[in-house]
Amino acid sequence: MAGSNVPEPYAPSASPEGRLSPRRVRDLLAALSQSDLRARYGRGPWRLLKWLVDPFALVGIYLLLVTIVRPRGGPAPGLSLACAVIPFQLVMMAVVNALDAVKLRRSIIANMAFPRIFLPLASALTETLAFAASLLLIAAMMVVYGVPPTLDTLWLPLVVAVNVAVAAAAAYPATLVGLWLPDLRPFAVSLVRAMFFLAPGLVALEQITGQANSLVRINPLTGLFEAYRDVLLYGRPPAAWELLWPLGFAALLLAVFLPIYRIEQRQFAKVLE
Amino acid sequence: MSPRIEAEGLGVRFTFDRQKRPVTPAMARIRRHCSSAWGLRDLNFRVGASESVALVGPNGAGKTTLLRAIAGVFAADEGRISVSGRVGSLLAIEGGLMPALTGRENALLLGVLAGMSRRESRAGLEGIKRRSGLGQSFDRPVSGYSQGMRARLGFSAIEHSRPSVLLLDEVHEALDHEFREHVETTARSIVEDGGIVIAAGHDQAVLERLCRRAFLMKDGTIASDAAYGDVTEHYLASAP
Repeated sequence: MAGSNVPEPYAPSASPEGRLSPRRVRDLLAALSQSDLRARYGRGPWRLLKWLVDPFALVGIYLLLVTIVRPRGGPAPGLSLACAVIPFQLVMMAVVNALDAVKLRRSIIANMAFPRIFLPLASALTETLAFAASLLLIAAMMVVYGVPPTLDTLWLPLVVAVNVAVAAAAAYPATLVGLWLPDLRPFAVSLVRAMFFLAPGLVALEQITGQANSLVRINPLTGLFEAYRDVLLYGRPPAAWELLWPLGFAALLLAVFLPIYRIEQRQFAKVLE
Repeated sequence: MSPRIEAEGLGVRFTFDRQKRPVTPAMARIRRHCSSAWGLRDLNFRVGASESVALVGPNGAGKTTLLRAIAGVFAADEGRISVSGRVGSLLAIEGGLMPALTGRENALLLGVLAGMSRRESRAGLEGIKRRSGLGQSFDRPVSGYSQGMRARLGFSAIEHSRPSVLLLDEVHEALDHEFREHVETTARSIVEDGGIVIAAGHDQAVLERLCRRAFLMKDGTIASDAAYGDVTEHYLASAP
């Protein structure tokens, strides 16, 4: 019954993630994301339907705003909106998911040791799957507005990778906020939502004039939204700053919060008591 | 290498805010008027291969905290604890189970978290289903399980990970007679094969059958470390 391959001694209080092979990391992330997906979104065809309908509903509301209520749509307003709303939803949902990441797995955290460093990353990966389904909306919008894909559409995987990096990096502070200040959860969600409106989400950057044009570029979401528009709407490669600025922001978040998370994850079980 | 557990000056501390909510040390630095209490203090012991230890003592004595420190769930705030061997822990009836997932999904997740590959974990699912005796319920969400069914699933999943260090906290008390016998047989076979079993609870008959050694826990310390019969005799005699 006892294990034939007894591992080397370890200090249970130490972080066990330091010795993990890439294969083990892959298995852990897949298992955590899969369980997360089922716990949050259920099973079966309704899940896929929800993922498909959600972005249409979101974009539809904003589309009414920019084409009827306050016409500032610019070219292909639906596609331009989708290029902002869909990447934003990935960041937003990764943060929302991460806020509850520890609470959702409290029974596991209180029962056994495992590399808890991957919890926020798994939250972001779960939402990346939902995001993948949402990309269909962009394809639909391109068809509706008659915008053909160009060679520069091949930049899309890189833009998506930057998007996922921003979402994953934001998930670490979100997990800590969910643990430290659970009462401020709605405020944290509102803060992230505010970032959408402080970026060229409803209208493209080229339609924002004056000093505001320079100011909104500080928001890392601006580069992300414009990068999607460049490769999918304007048919040109993304400008370097559009990718490097959000990537730098993600690196900064990780540099600040990953070390804090590493220390704090040792205490998760105590807080869940 | 034989399984073993060693603790030197082990201490586990809990920090609370003004409303007596547990907080992490980082939060304690931000919030004012925090207090702390030691759940374990200055524990020194060594448990070697083929040993079975019962943790006895009143509620709040530190039995569960010690099991969680051995499992790696709680970090040592003072001193050190080292464990060699694959640890399998069932420290609560819900032990590691997510209510929204089915028994099968939970078993797969627990296997991977316990150190198996996804393939190994998946390969063991039918065995877990059979050993747990859950039948069709194995593919239903755990939220609909009784406490006994949850304990059966949790233990069967642990069994599949082939632990050489088994930690049990009162959970066997939620089990029916048939599965309790299965748990005892498994625990005995772990010890016979050179493993370690540490069990806590208030069912003295079960602990007596499982364990030869016992720690009497009192106020977060080990008040007595001796043969099971001697420790319980002392404990029961001193109980009010």
